[in-house]
Amino acid sequence: MQLFPRGLFEDALPPIVLRSQVYSLVPDRTVADRQLKELQEQGEIRIVQLGFDLDAHGIIFTEDYRTRVLKACDGRPYAGAVQKFLASVLPACGDLSFQQDQMTQTFGFRDSEITHLVNAGVLTVRDAGSWWLAVPGAGRFIKYFVKGRQAVLSMVRKAKYRELLLSELLGRRAPVVVRLGLTYHVHDLIGAQLVDCISTTSGTLLRLPET
Amino acid sequence: MLGFLSARQTGLEDPLRLRRAESTRRVLGLELNKDRDVERIHGGGINTLDIEPVEGRYMLSGGSDGVIVLYDLENSSRQSYYTCKAVCSIGRDHPDVHRYSVETVQWYPHDTGMFTSSSFDKTLKVWDTNTLQTADVFNFEETVYSHHMSPVSTKHCLVAVGTRGPKVQLCDLKSGSCSHILQVVFAGHRQEILAVSWSPRYDYILATASADSRVKLWDVRRASGCLITLDQHNGKKSQAVESANTAHNGKVNGLCFTSDGLHLLTVGTDNRMRLWNSSNGENTLVNYGKVCNNSKKGLKFTVSCGCSSEFVFVPYGSTIAVYTVYSGEQITMLKGHYKTVDCCVFQSNFQELYSGSRDCNILAWVPSLYEPVPDDDETTTKSQLNPAFEDAWSSSDEEG
Repeated sequence: MQLFPRGLFEDALPPIVLRSQVYSLVPDRTVADRQLKELQEQGEIRIVQLGFDLDAHGIIFTEDYRTRVLKACDGRPYAGAVQKFLASVLPACGDLSFQQDQMTQTFGFRDSEITHLVNAGVLTVRDAGSWWLAVPGAGRFIKYFVKGRQAVLSMVRKAKYRELLLSELLGRRAPVVVRLGLTYHVHDLIGAQLVDCISTTSGTLLRLPET
Repeated sequence: MLGFLSARQTGLEDPLRLRRAESTRRVLGLELNKDRDVERIHGGGINTLDIEPVEGRYMLSGGSDGVIVLYDLENSSRQSYYTCKAVCSIGRDHPDVHRYSVETVQWYPHDTGMFTSSSFDKTLKVWDTNTLQTADVFNFEETVYSHHMSPVSTKHCLVAVGTRGPKVQLCDLKSGSCSHILQVVFAGHRQEILAVSWSPRYDYILATASADSRVKLWDVRRASGCLITLDQHNGKKSQAVESANTAHNGKVNGLCFTSDGLHLLTVGTDNRMRLWNSSNGENTLVNYGKVCNNSKKGLKFTVSCGCSSEFVFVPYGSTIAVYTVYSGEQITMLKGHYKTVDCCVFQSNFQELYSGSRDCNILAWVPSLYEPVPDDDETTTKSQLNPAFEDAWSSSDEEG
């Protein structure tokens, strides 16, 4: 969590961690998945679908999410719908996505209120009649993230034999494109298995997979 | 191992424990063995393999040249070097051979007198093994990707066929009709069906996997729709519309039930493998990491049976990755093929794995646990000779 550069977004976004970073920190993936699921059920964290890759899930603390969303929609016309959503839907339903009839029948939202929520950026369209939970203003984060990920990957790709020692990679100066920090991206690449992690006598080596 | 044997002998432990421990140890030691070979007959890549469940002795293989070959796997020669010979084959000169690539072959589950094969030429053929003639042919409107016949069923002889169309068709071998179709307009599949598999536990439960990222469980007796659509996010079951549930984020290529039928493994082109509880459709969230999968048609993988922690063998590019099923840990990658591996089968009596790939080879992976004992002919002959009969003179090279 400390790796996330808050200052970059002027506190408008809650700190987002990716699931692949959690895999890189916890050695056993199944255990990590199960623990994340437990935390999600207890309501401590929310899992959000990041648009660029169907597999990449962002993890945010519920408290942070709530405060940021409220701050983002203060004084806007859709504030009322958003507050109702935060108060009623979030604690009740811990899923990533919401269906049409679930919103209208169980929680009593009208269509216009759902449109307000989409305008506010809290919901993103997934399919006809179902929505993903989203973070308002996350577009900038996703743009920096995708560019940064590509930049770090290309640093490894351009190296001789397409492999780099981890210590050397972290010691290099980050290119301008990488706004979120090298360590943030490195954890994500290791966890998403976009680079192979090989332990050698001089430390961990990151190598691009053959395919 | 000696401890297990003596415990079994004295009755302290159940005999099954020794069997499971030894099977697990043998599976962990699988590797390519220079002494075991499978005769190379196919001229094209091998798409499917099947070992008969009765004796585990005969293996069928179907290739992309339409050829079907039957191998005898048993080692009846006394030597350790053994090539599995082809007993017979349905080659290109056979009048009933498939015109295009054979996608799936399967032995009749109850004896080796019959087998079925389906191919891209839109047919499913039923063959008599002894005469190698087709007993029956079922024609379809679309190319057939996969078929499966229930391994445990005694009440029905239905073959489930997955084609390029969104309908799953059931062919009845007893009556010769293929009119039973599993397609309910809204809840059925929307794209081609890449894999079908009957449950090894219940006679009437069928799982189908399709390119529209959905996996559905059906009870074929019920005409009104599928039982469960698997959802990878384990969403709330109160959702009325199941159309948004996806099992994978890409096409679902392969299906395999575990040998007790309680869990289902699915593989998709999103490079993930998932384990599901087959009774309630819940994703057990076991994470196997990235399981590379670029196959445009079905991928046939297999699960071991009889070991204490079951293993799943998945073709991963040109290697085979071995994982433990319930914990998701990767044990090893079996490297040996030159091109993409398409299918693999496990012979549970001897814990051997056979895999077929696009380089037209079938490789046999055999457990190697002990170093082969070198032939000690000289020592035995020496000890048999009474010292009184031994020659007393030494060889004259050094003295002379």
